[in-house]
Amino acid sequence: MNTFLTALFNGTSRGAIFALVALGLVLVWRGSGVVNFAQMGQAMFTTYIASTLIAHGNSYWIAFIVALIAGALLGGAVDLFVMRPLHKHSHSSLNATIPIIASLGILGVLQAAAGMFWAGEERGFPTPVNSLGLSISGKVMPFTAFDLFVVGVVLVVLVLTTIFFTRTGMGLAMRASALNEEVARLSGIKVHYMKVLSWMISGAASSLAGLLVTPATNLSPNSLDLILIIGFTAAVVGGLDSLPGAVIGGFALGLVISFVNVYLTPENVFLAILLTLVLVLIVRPQGIMGSKVGRRV
Amino acid sequence: MLKVSQLSTHYGSVKALHNVSFTAEQGKITTVIGANGAGKSTLLRTISALVKPESGSITWKGRELVGASPESIVRSGVAHVPEGHAVISQLTVEENIKLGSLFRRRKFASDISQATKEMFDLFPRLQERRTQLAGSLSGGERQMLAISRALVSRPEVLLLDEPSLGLAPLVVEQIIQSINDLCRKTGLTVLLVEQNANTALSVADHGVLLALGEVAADRPAAELMADTALRAAYLGY
Ligand SMILES: Nc1ncnc2c1ncn2[C@@H]1O[C@H](COP(=O)(O)OP(=O)(O)OP(=O)(O)O)[C@@H](O)[C@H]1O
Ligand SMILES: [Mg+2]
Repeated sequence: MNTFLTALFNGTSRGAIFALVALGLVLVWRGSGVVNFAQMGQAMFTTYIASTLIAHGNSYWIAFIVALIAGALLGGAVDLFVMRPLHKHSHSSLNATIPIIASLGILGVLQAAAGMFWAGEERGFPTPVNSLGLSISGKVMPFTAFDLFVVGVVLVVLVLTTIFFTRTGMGLAMRASALNEEVARLSGIKVHYMKVLSWMISGAASSLAGLLVTPATNLSPNSLDLILIIGFTAAVVGGLDSLPGAVIGGFALGLVISFVNVYLTPENVFLAILLTLVLVLIVRPQGIMGSKVGRRV
Repeated sequence: MLKVSQLSTHYGSVKALHNVSFTAEQGKITTVIGANGAGKSTLLRTISALVKPESGSITWKGRELVGASPESIVRSGVAHVPEGHAVISQLTVEENIKLGSLFRRRKFASDISQATKEMFDLFPRLQERRTQLAGSLSGGERQMLAISRALVSRPEVLLLDEPSLGLAPLVVEQIIQSINDLCRKTGLTVLLVEQNANTALSVADHGVLLALGEVAADRPAAELMADTALRAAYLGY
């Protein structure tokens, strides 16, 4: 029973992080039609910034806030200085692949830069609260205070994102820009601003994911590569163009991975990720919440 | 007035518009008629900056529109309802209408609910369906919605591309009549593209006949209506 609960809570806390990563990917995909493979490279970079700040004696929370802001700025910069100029100047049949190559290029640059600035060696990253098994009135719980923190922070982010998209004018403008650029522009919406904004929100969300997952993975220029793959799988499982789908996909993968880890062996995790992807796509080719091709509802 | 002069628009090597010039008087309905492929939609899309012209100028009240972005053109009071029920089907009816008023929400917050109410008065069917997804509307209802989205921005110029497309004659009549009322009451300037020349000319003040991207006639609507030889030559009826 205790093993089961441990797997459940651990999976939920990991799933929350994957949900953030998937959310970031889906936001940019919907806003710009780009799968941003550099996303967790950006997060790795901003986690290094946070790590350096902490090493220089700043508090975790200062580093936390700075990393989120840096994540937003880095996301916006990728759109403004790389994706947009490329989009303006590309007129070939390679159009669809150019942003992919570009995002892989950015990933490479960020990893090389991190290796240069911070020497490539792996370093740890702190948690703001205890990450040992929490004990309440003498009983050791199957989750840690940090797990609670992760799930709490991610839930707050998800609620705020939902309110933003469904209740505010700017959220509506962003959704409209992503769904139908022409109608949005003819409604007076500055679609370019909305795109940058989606890159910025995505950048901040993935930066947060980096801060939350790195205590477990340690920090190195490649430390978040696997998280990107899992997050991308979560996004695809969720339907790629659906924000709720991304969140469901994230939690689902977190749980699958956690249970496979506990009940089978860690070596089976990759197989489990692949199987989840294949099974979902066989049963629902458009993903859990995705819209059918040609009829994006 | 809306003044178009020497406007040429190309798609690659296809010359869709060639030296098009005419003016649409303020508070009047000007209709643009012509056969399929004559360049009517291209003309409206060039005015609203969805496509860039090769050369020429478009001015509204003396202000040059060529070179501005579509969103700034809408914000300066020129609203475009493009061909084919341009609504966002994944958003609700209410959200689609709201879209058109978003850019005014800071300066004219108090007017927005009034403007929205006017749209529902104009098209009561939309009010009944306001929480429905636009994708679930009928063609006619979608067209009403697209027009509402444009009107709620309180435009001074309305560019309407084939509002009658796929609609029952009765609905067309209602839409055209509503536009006509708005024109007379609020001084709205309308540029109406229509496939059905009779409908358009009967409500318009002025008519511009396009043929293969060039202006073949530019006259009062009544005159165009009466010129059966011209219509036979260019429209086939
Ligand atoms: N995006 C485009 N790319 C290339 N050529 C185009 C494009 N849009 C229109 N054209 C061409 O430009 C010409 C004018 O098209 P336009 O759509 O303006 O005609 P129209 O008068 O609106 O016709 P209809 O009555 O059928 O709507 C046509 O020859 C058309 O094939
Ligand atoms: Mg047309």
